[in-house]
Amino acid sequence: MVEEKRILYEHLDVPDINTFDVFRQYDGYKGFEKAIAEYQPEEIAKMVLDSGLKGRGGAGFSTGEKWSFVPRDIEPRYLCCNADESEPGTFSNRYVLEKNPHLLIEGILICCYAMGIETTYVYIRGEFTLGKKMLDAAIKEAYEQGYLGEDIRGTGLNVNIYTHPGAGAYICGEETGLIESLEGKRGQPRNKPPFPAVEGVFRKPTVVQNVETLCNLPFIVSNGVEWYTQMGPTYADTRFDPPKPDANTGTKLYCISGDVNEPGVYELELGLTCTELIEVAGGLRGEEVKAVIPGGSSAPILTHYELDTRLDFTSLTLAKSMLGSGGIIVMNETRNIVDCLLNIMKFYAHESCGQCTPCRWGTPWVRDIVQRIADGNGRQSTITRPKFGIAENGRWGDTGETEEIYEDLDLLESVANNIANVDTMTWNTICVFGIAVSWPAVSYMRKFRPEFEAAIRESKLVTLPVAEATVPPEENYAYQQRFVPKEFADL
Amino acid sequence: MAFVKLNDLEIEVEDGTNVVEAARQHGIEVPHYCYHPGLSRPANCRMCLVEPHEFFPPAGAIVPARQLATGCTTVLRTAPPERKLDGKYDSIVYTDSPRVKKAREDILEFLLVHHPLDCPVCDQAGECDLQDYSYRHGHDKSRYLEVKNVPPKKDLGPDVLLYSTRCVVCTRCIRFAEEVSGTGELGLINRGSHDEIDIPRSHEGVPLQVLDNKLAGNVVDICPVGALISKDFLFKSRPWFMEKADSVCSGCSVGCNITVEYKADGVYRLKPRFHEDINQHWMCDDGRLGYHYVNSDDRLQLPLKRVDDELSPTHWADAIATITEKLSEVEAEDIVVIGSAQGTNEDNYVLQQFAHDVLKTTQLGLFGQSPGEEHKFPQFTIEADKNPNTAGARTILGSANGNVVLEGDALWEKVSNAKVVYLVSGASERTLEDAEKAALESVDFLIVQDVLPSEVTQVADIVLPGTTFAEKDGTFTNSTGWVQRIRKTIDPPGEARIDWEITQQLAKQLGGEMNYHFAGEIALAIAENVPGYADATHQKIGDAGIKLT
Repeated sequence: MVEEKRILYEHLDVPDINTFDVFRQYDGYKGFEKAIAEYQPEEIAKMVLDSGLKGRGGAGFSTGEKWSFVPRDIEPRYLCCNADESEPGTFSNRYVLEKNPHLLIEGILICCYAMGIETTYVYIRGEFTLGKKMLDAAIKEAYEQGYLGEDIRGTGLNVNIYTHPGAGAYICGEETGLIESLEGKRGQPRNKPPFPAVEGVFRKPTVVQNVETLCNLPFIVSNGVEWYTQMGPTYADTRFDPPKPDANTGTKLYCISGDVNEPGVYELELGLTCTELIEVAGGLRGEEVKAVIPGGSSAPILTHYELDTRLDFTSLTLAKSMLGSGGIIVMNETRNIVDCLLNIMKFYAHESCGQCTPCRWGTPWVRDIVQRIADGNGRQSTITRPKFGIAENGRWGDTGETEEIYEDLDLLESVANNIANVDTMTWNTICVFGIAVSWPAVSYMRKFRPEFEAAIRESKLVTLPVAEATVPPEENYAYQQRFVPKEFADL
Repeated sequence: MAFVKLNDLEIEVEDGTNVVEAARQHGIEVPHYCYHPGLSRPANCRMCLVEPHEFFPPAGAIVPARQLATGCTTVLRTAPPERKLDGKYDSIVYTDSPRVKKAREDILEFLLVHHPLDCPVCDQAGECDLQDYSYRHGHDKSRYLEVKNVPPKKDLGPDVLLYSTRCVVCTRCIRFAEEVSGTGELGLINRGSHDEIDIPRSHEGVPLQVLDNKLAGNVVDICPVGALISKDFLFKSRPWFMEKADSVCSGCSVGCNITVEYKADGVYRLKPRFHEDINQHWMCDDGRLGYHYVNSDDRLQLPLKRVDDELSPTHWADAIATITEKLSEVEAEDIVVIGSAQGTNEDNYVLQQFAHDVLKTTQLGLFGQSPGEEHKFPQFTIEADKNPNTAGARTILGSANGNVVLEGDALWEKVSNAKVVYLVSGASERTLEDAEKAALESVDFLIVQDVLPSEVTQVADIVLPGTTFAEKDGTFTNSTGWVQRIRKTIDPPGEARIDWEITQQLAKQLGGEMNYHFAGEIALAIAENVPGYADATHQKIGDAGIKLT
């Protein structure tokens, strides 16, 4: 049985941990104090790079590497903390904000110290009213205690934090959409490049980090890089010669919801399998697992054949899915995948910002197709067409066999792939919202094709038994590429 | 200069050129909606996707970039030697690879899913980018079976209608209102597939601000589809039925380059034409909508003669005879010849030649539209001088030996002492101040050459029907010294004649030796005789104009 490994959440349940005094009792701000006492800013940046910390917001980009792109000669630079946690199935940042906001402030302080940043904006999801209230109170306390403001602890370091509530748009969780919104404009992502590290808030270099990423910093500084890298697997990227380490270090706040007995946020080392995770969350509610969404609703779904996939950034990428925000949704045999996809597509069609053409008009189209299938209007169910190939007379032509095609399924796949191509991992859109739409659409449809076909054939939603609903592994497009990478230690 | 491989072409382009422009310079079309050379580049239509190639070290080869890039934001620059591709190219870009073609097709399909396909009743049909690109790059049938969005038709301002259903949300109009006019009346409302262009409105839908700045008409021009429509042109004509001629706006002294679109029965609309130093891509609504007097039913079509204190139509022979009679009766110093800042350089040259050589008078004046207001926008200025050719007329009238060009009070004082005044006006709707009117009334015999009945023609003894900018060839000199050509589009109404021809007729009757056949011939004489205009022949001016040095 796997145990939880609480680091970020260690003191989450301590009463009044949100107040400065209690936070101090539990070693609060010790990481920051160690940082300013013992390390130069460059050393902190080096530590973060060496720790292999990957951004926890979704893309899983190496934090240290991101910091290295920030030009140090342009003033001012900004830190923008992304607390616009709105991916369906994700709710880990919320607990930090509501229960332990001082931890975030400490993380921000360390980042600001390392990067020479004086101004931080915390963009909080509009619905997190309590979270914003708690964070604002904590910031006020930190100012009073001299941990924020001018000349912090006599070091000459100045850090100011401003909180900014969002207005409820999902797309403002995308870093450039967030920056636009923060600047007071319509929340629409920018074209990249330039990336925010070069041109971000108010066209100045900006570090955009997720709440969870920042909360990792105090522990890396207090306990050292070695301690941190022991957690989680480090794989060997064998595309390079010699193989390059691909770190998936540290812990992750997994938000487990759906058909498990004890849903909630669990802090675990990276690299556990789906099966282990379901066990941690009190086991499955129901008979058997039908599907698992591994990283928020935009991540491609995993079938019950793929439950041995390790839930870390590298393994899931190889399984043609993603860890994303760590929002894990477990579905048991009672769930209908068509219905699930409809639910998700409704969300994305509603949340498309409408800036670029493929997403603006493609997402509602995908939703409408799924809606039609779910309503039982899957366009005259199936049609039969002649199958072309080498015919009896040895020439190219109609082979006499017929093949059944489901036009709406082909259309669904084609339209989704035109927004963003799942196979080549390219998108025609400005931001990655496009792939967040086509990923679920294509993966649900391909991996649970029998259920979609049944819905069209029988003109109603049909929930098939798990074994029948899932395509076998040999037909699963993602299963083919899936392999567990070698651990670096093994080489 | 960047050395670029564009498809199978090897081209050199200036550093900083984007792929769309570089391709356009070499005759390759990269379809685009949101990109406009005069505006910022949001790259939101995704239509101009191209395939850049890059060096990929692990493979040790040049490979297509993983992601397609938008041509409008892909800027071509000289690369440092170690980053040259194939040892010589600064960039390699394909605009016709299978991936690019597929992407274009897909984007076009998305653009058309909510489009009403109402081309038969759409004003833009025939000059619509959506039509053209669909024809050249799109699917031949629609796969869309769902219900289309039907956002409402909106009245945005005095001259602009928005057919939201046809809108592709390229945001060119919004960016225009922000960047060029600086008025910012337009914005997007709603989100996602319900995006709509709109003006600020109250919750009840009452407009709080309308699109009525002096540059508003440009949004109709830059709209790549039939969403923004000019009320002035609505349902007037199909674009392909109209002839087009390059010309210059006569609305003010800026001298915006325009295209006059016309049919046999009149001018239908004016559109701005790109000129880098004068008007870029734009023109103002005063100029754009200021052509209506050309088509007016009130246009002077016959010479008018004052008989029994009333102007009544007569024929040319009678009018000319009457004038020559009067002119030969008086002394040279009692005659004042007044040229027009609305007239072309050619009109004014013939006029001054007539005054100087035939009438032997050096007393010339300059008349024109009364000044209006100056309007400044972030990227555009409308000048206060409402005449297209003040600078040119002034120089040319005063070009002959001893000529004096009088303006303002000096002119009117001179006029009040004169016996015969030959006034070429051409300024429609020009109102006269009391002093001006009194001066003109005191003249024994007032000859007025004009295009429309006005306060000036009311006091005339004889009125000669002249022509507007749309009915003659010639050149205008703008306030910054650019000499540019206007071209004849339609025939003058009735028996109206080109202004310099009337003057020449009078000169011939009085024994002058003038025998010009067309405006270009006069321009040659100008080039020979007027200082500074040595290069201002029609041939050299061409479409781009020349700047006087």
